[in-house]
Amino acid sequence: MITGPSSTRLVLSALVAQPQTAATFDSLFNWYLFFGIGAAVVVIGLMIAFSIKYRSRGASGPVKHKAESWKIALVTVVISLSILTAAEYQTFASFGNIEIPDPPGAVTIHVLAFQWGWNFTYPNGKFDLTNLTVPAGATVILNITSRDVFHSFGIPSLAVKEDAIPGRVNQLWFQAPQAGFYKDAIRCFELCGLGHATMIGNLVVVNQTTWDTMYNETG
Amino acid sequence: MVSWSYIKRWLYTTNHKDVGLLYLFSSFYFAVIGATLALLMRTQLSVPNNNFLTAVFYNQAVTMHGLIMIFWFLSPFAIGFMNYFVPLQIGAKDLAFPRLNALSFWLFFTGGLMELISFFAPGGTTAAGWTNYQPLAALQAGSGPTLDYLGLVLLAASVTLGSVNILATILWMRAPGVTVSKIPMFTWFALFTIVAMLFSFPTLIAAFALASSDRLLGTVFFTNPSVQPSILWDNLFWFFGHPEVYIVLLPAFGVIANVIPVFTGRPLAAKNAILIATALIVLPLSFGVWMHHMFLTGIPVSLQGVFSISTILISVPFDVITLAFVESLFRGRLVFKAPLLYSLAAIVLFIIGGIEGVFLSSPVLDRVFRGSYFVVSHFHYVMVGAAIFGLEAGLFYWLPRMTGHMYSESLAKIQFVVSFVGFNVLYFPMSFLMDMPRRIFTYQNIGSWATLNGLASVGAFIFAGSFLLLAYNVLNTWFRGPPAQPNPWGSDDLEWPTPSSGMTPAVGSAAVASDAGWIGQLSTAPGGGPPIHSAASAPGEGAHGHHLSSRPIWLSVGAMIFLVGASFYPGGLAVGTMVVGALIAFYSLYGWARDDLAGRFAIPLEQLGERWPFNAVPKMKLGMWVFLSSEIVLFGSFIGAYIFIRSAVISWPAAGTVHDIPLGTINTLILVTSGLTMALAVQAIRQGDQRRLLMWLGTTFVLGSTFMGIKLSEWVNLSSAGFVIGSANPTTSLAASAYYFLVGLHGAHVVAGLIVMVYLMKKTASGMYTKDEHEAVENFGLYWAFIDIVWCFLFPLFYLL
Repeated sequence: MITGPSSTRLVLSALVAQPQTAATFDSLFNWYLFFGIGAAVVVIGLMIAFSIKYRSRGASGPVKHKAESWKIALVTVVISLSILTAAEYQTFASFGNIEIPDPPGAVTIHVLAFQWGWNFTYPNGKFDLTNLTVPAGATVILNITSRDVFHSFGIPSLAVKEDAIPGRVNQLWFQAPQAGFYKDAIRCFELCGLGHATMIGNLVVVNQTTWDTMYNETG
Repeated sequence: MVSWSYIKRWLYTTNHKDVGLLYLFSSFYFAVIGATLALLMRTQLSVPNNNFLTAVFYNQAVTMHGLIMIFWFLSPFAIGFMNYFVPLQIGAKDLAFPRLNALSFWLFFTGGLMELISFFAPGGTTAAGWTNYQPLAALQAGSGPTLDYLGLVLLAASVTLGSVNILATILWMRAPGVTVSKIPMFTWFALFTIVAMLFSFPTLIAAFALASSDRLLGTVFFTNPSVQPSILWDNLFWFFGHPEVYIVLLPAFGVIANVIPVFTGRPLAAKNAILIATALIVLPLSFGVWMHHMFLTGIPVSLQGVFSISTILISVPFDVITLAFVESLFRGRLVFKAPLLYSLAAIVLFIIGGIEGVFLSSPVLDRVFRGSYFVVSHFHYVMVGAAIFGLEAGLFYWLPRMTGHMYSESLAKIQFVVSFVGFNVLYFPMSFLMDMPRRIFTYQNIGSWATLNGLASVGAFIFAGSFLLLAYNVLNTWFRGPPAQPNPWGSDDLEWPTPSSGMTPAVGSAAVASDAGWIGQLSTAPGGGPPIHSAASAPGEGAHGHHLSSRPIWLSVGAMIFLVGASFYPGGLAVGTMVVGALIAFYSLYGWARDDLAGRFAIPLEQLGERWPFNAVPKMKLGMWVFLSSEIVLFGSFIGAYIFIRSAVISWPAAGTVHDIPLGTINTLILVTSGLTMALAVQAIRQGDQRRLLMWLGTTFVLGSTFMGIKLSEWVNLSSAGFVIGSANPTTSLAASAYYFLVGLHGAHVVAGLIVMVYLMKKTASGMYTKDEHEAVENFGLYWAFIDIVWCFLFPLFYLL
C-alpha cells in the first residue's frame, strides 16, 4: 500500500525530473517511514506475541510482588534516542528545503493571499489571480503575505508551504524542472472562512524565453 | 418515582461520587452532540462536490466538534473518574473542598450550555475552528463567538478550581498507610494531569479573555494588524494547546497503568521509570514544544531546529512508558477481559499516532503535512484512539464498582472489535491524504481523495455504531446486570474492598482486602474498630451524608446568565439579563459566606494521614498556593502578551507622556504599604491579638480603597485626555487597550480582595479568629501579597517603560 509519498501528492508526481524540494522531502519521508514502521512493527509485534503466549483463561488476580526493574526503561532510552537522533540528523540535513537560497538569476514573485484567492505579482509589475507562472528550472522565491486573515500557501507536489500572515512576509523557494500546466496545484491550508475550500490556484511552468517576454521585461 | 428530594440531591450534592457521576453523564451527553457534528461532516465529505452541508454550517461544526469533544467530553470523562476514584484510591473521605468541587462541575456544565446556545445565536457560532486563528475569529461579528469564548472562560475557571481541589486532595488527604510509594497509578496520573492543567489553562483563559475583551469592550488586541495578531494568538493558544494534548491523554494512561497489573497478574514493569518519564513530560517538556505548531509562520530556521529537537525529545519519555507497558505483559497471566483489551488497543493506537507525531516534529516534512489530513489522522489517533480506548478500559473496569452490577463481557468484546475496526477504517485512510487541506467543506474528484474519504466516512459510521453498543451495555448493566462481586477483578487498590456506590447500595459487605499487603493491616486499625474505609466512603449515610449545598449551582447559573447577557450587549435585554445574573451570583456568594459564618456546611475533620512533603502546611494554605501559582501563569500570560505587543509595535507613547509618574509612584507606595499592614495583621492574630488584627485589617482596607480611588481618578483624567480604547489614533487605542485591560484586571483583583476583607473584619469583630484558628487570615495575607507583587511588575511596564 505504501508506494512512496509522491504518489499521494498532487499532479507533479507524473514528472520525469523530480523537483529538488520534492525529492528531498521524499527521501526524508522515507527515512521517517523506515524508522516509524520498524518501531511500530517491533513494538506492536511484541505486544501480539506476548498476548498470544501468555494468554490465560483463569481469573484475574492480585499482583505478585516482585522487585521493580529499570532495565526496560534504560534500554528504551538508548534505543529511541539513537533512532530519533538519526531521524533528526536527516531532518537537519534536509534544511536546504526551508533555507532561502540566493543564487544568481533567482526569480522573486510576490504572493498576496486574500479571502479567497491569490494575487501573484511578477517582477515587471504584472499580476495574475489564477495562475502562478514560473520559469522552468530557475530558482523561484515567493514572498508571501496576506491582505486579511491567516492563510497558508502550499504546493503539495513541490513539498513547499508557508503561512500567509497579515503584517508579515514569509518566504519559500522551489524549482519546477519541467514546463507544463499543473491544474489546482496550489491550495490554502489554513481555515480562512467560507471560501477556504475553493482557494485554489494553478501552477504554470513555462520556458525561460516565454517567462522573460511575459513577466521579466522592464518598461 | 422521581421525587423533588431525589432531584435536589443531584443538583445540590457535593459528594465526590455524585459529582463524579454527574461529570460522566454530562460528558456522554456532550459526546453525543460532538459525535453528531462529526457524522454530519463525514456525510458531507463522503463523496466529492457534495451539497449536504453549507460551508457556513460546516465551519461551525468543525469548530464546535473540536471544542466540545476536547473540553466537554474527553477531559470531563477523565475528571469524572478522578472525582469518583481518586478519593477512594487514597482513602480520603471526599475531595479537599467539596463545595468547590460542585462549583467546578456546575461551571463546566453551564459553560457547555453556553456553547450549545451559541449555535442558535443570530449568525451562528464561531466558524474559525477550535484553534480560533486570528484575525479570522476576531472578524466574525455576532454574539455566537462571544458566547463560545465566555463559555470557554467558565470552563477554564472550572478547571482551575477543580485542579486546586484534586491536587490538594492527593497531596494532603491520603489515609494513614497511603504513603507516596503506595499511591495507585490512576491517582498518580491524575496528579500529573492536574499539574499540566494548572499551568496551561491560565494561558487559555488569557487568550480567550483578550479575545472576549475585543468583542465586548472594544479593545484591539487581535484587530490591530501591527500587533501581528496571528502570531500573538498562535503563541498564546499553542502554549496552552500542546500541553492540552497530554491533559487529554494522561488520564487514559493512568487507567492503563492501573488496569494492566490486575489483568496480567504481575506488577507494572519499571513503575518508577514510568512516573519519572510522565513527570518530565508534564514539566518541563510539554511547555517547550508549542512552536512546532508554528514552523511555517516565518520563525527563523534555527528556531525551527530547536523546536524540532524539543518536540522529538518528548517522544523519549513516551517510549519509556509504552515499552514499560509492553514489558508488563511479559511472563504475565493475561486475562483478556474488556479492560485489558481496551488498554492494549489504546497502546497500539497511541504507537501509531505517536509515530505520526514524530513525522510532524520535522519542519521539513511539515511543509507538506501542515494543515492537511495527515495532521487530522495524527491527533485523532492520539486524542481519540489512545484517550477514548483507555478511558473505556476504565469504564468497564470500574462499572461494577459504580453500579454494583457486572456488564456483559461478550457484548463488550463485540463492541471492541467493531470499535477498533471502525476507528482504523476512519482514521488510517486520512494519513494518506497528506495533500488534502483539512477543514475544507467539499472537494473535487482528485486522485484518490474520493476513495479515501468515502472509506473514512464508512469507518465513521461503524465507529459511531460501536458506541450505541456501549450505551446499551452500560444501561443494561446498570438496570438489569447481574450483581457484581465486591472486588470482581481481585485488585489490590483501595477503591475495591469498600461497599459500592450510592446508586445501588446493596453490594457485598465491606473489606474484601487481600490477605497480603497493607490493606489488611489498614482495615483493622486502629484498635480493631470497623474498617476505616467502609465507614469513610459509604455515601448517603453516616456523619456527612451528601452535605448538600445549593450555592454552587446557583452561583454557576448566575454567572452563566450574566455572561449570556454580556454576549448580547448592547442588545435590548442584555443589561437586564446581566443584572439578573449578577444578582443571582452575588446572592449565592453571600449565602456561601453566611453558611460559613453560621457553620452551616460542616465537613468532618480529616483523619491525620499521609501528607509528605506537606506535613506542616494546612489544607487551605496548600490550596491557596496552588491557586496563586495558576494566577502567576495567568498574569504571566497577559504580561507576556503585552511584551509581545510592545516589541511588535514600533511606535508607542513615550514614558511620562500619558501616565502621571509621580502619582503612580505614590499609589504604588500606598499599595506596598498596605502589604506591610496586612503582614502586621497576620502577625497580630498569630499572637492572638484580635483588636490589633481588626485595626491592621482596617488600615489595609483603607489603603487598598485609597489605591483604587486614586486609580479611578487616574482613569477619569486619562479618558478626558483622550487616552481611550476607541481613540482614532491606532497607537493610542492599542496602548489604552493594554493599559485598561491589565490594570483593570489587577484592579478587579484588588476589589475582590477588599470584599473579602469586609468578610474577614466581620468575622474578626465577632471574635471568630483565634491564635490557633485563623487560616483564612493567613491565606488572605498570601493573596494580598500576590496582588502587591503583580503591581510591582505592572507599574514599571506601563508607567516607566
